[in-house]
Amino acid sequence: MAVYDLLVIVHIIGTVLGVGAATFAEIHYTRFNSDDIITDDERKTLAVTYTVMRTGLFLLVISGFGFLLYLRLTEYTDLLTSATFLAKMTVVGVLVGNALLLQARIIPLAIGAAVSLTSWYAALILGSLRDTNASYIEILVYYIIAVVVVGVGLRWVRARLHAPKTI
Amino acid sequence: MTTTLAAVLIVHVLSGVIAIGIHNVVLMHLLKKAPNYVFVSRIAWSAVALFLLSWATSAYYYVTYYGTAVKPRILAGALPAGHAFFMETKEHIFLVLPFLAVSIALSVSYLRASPDDALRKSTAFLTLIALCVGAATAAAGVIVSGSI
Repeated sequence: MAVYDLLVIVHIIGTVLGVGAATFAEIHYTRFNSDDIITDDERKTLAVTYTVMRTGLFLLVISGFGFLLYLRLTEYTDLLTSATFLAKMTVVGVLVGNALLLQARIIPLAIGAAVSLTSWYAALILGSLRDTNASYIEILVYYIIAVVVVGVGLRWVRARLHAPKTI
Repeated sequence: MTTTLAAVLIVHVLSGVIAIGIHNVVLMHLLKKAPNYVFVSRIAWSAVALFLLSWATSAYYYVTYYGTAVKPRILAGALPAGHAFFMETKEHIFLVLPFLAVSIALSVSYLRASPDDALRKSTAFLTLIALCVGAATAAAGVIVSGSI
């Protein structure tokens, strides 16, 4: 198997684990928190989901730098300065920063969840598109709009699923 | 590029990226109120070893190949700032990283023996700085490679 194929496989596995775990982290958290109580079992389920997400992020970053090396060694370096690639790098950087801010409890969970979910899907979409006509700034503007839309959507879903308060 | 130089470049990039990732893990643990200092000090020293490895391999690559074969191509190409700004910045900022890594590892080793909340917070802040410097260095490396 060629090195490039191996990198593609690891990159896809990392993305699948990350996107899947980010999606299920939201689904689980929304369901578990609908009664305002997160039990020990629910907490353990969430912890496993976050571990899978971090594993995905690790595989994504390592294989991403593997691609960088491959492109450098094969002298095909145009991609490294393309708007899509730089935007994807930025989004992955936001994912890491967001995880740190959440861990330090500097940003509210609602904002962190919206950023995390949107960033994972943005990384998936930017990786699938490979290259677009949009500039780096345009891609980031779309990304910020998507974060806001996802944040509002998650808030709406959580409000709808939230158990009615007993009087 | 010879196979040895390619291997040196691969070791430089991967050891650097893994060391930055380790600092990310160190920071995540130091943000907890009661971190597992045994684990954190072990991985902090691993980061030191990896940064030194990345440092040594980058020095060999720069002296034997980059300066004579890559730098002139970047300066003559469409993105001369790849060397003139990003590499010049990267090669100076990168000098700081192993010393930051050693300071973090020493602090965490001290915390392992005598836990101290103020020192934990200060070490977390230092690790955040090391992480930002590391991420900026890695991003500069991508831009330098893309400028060839």
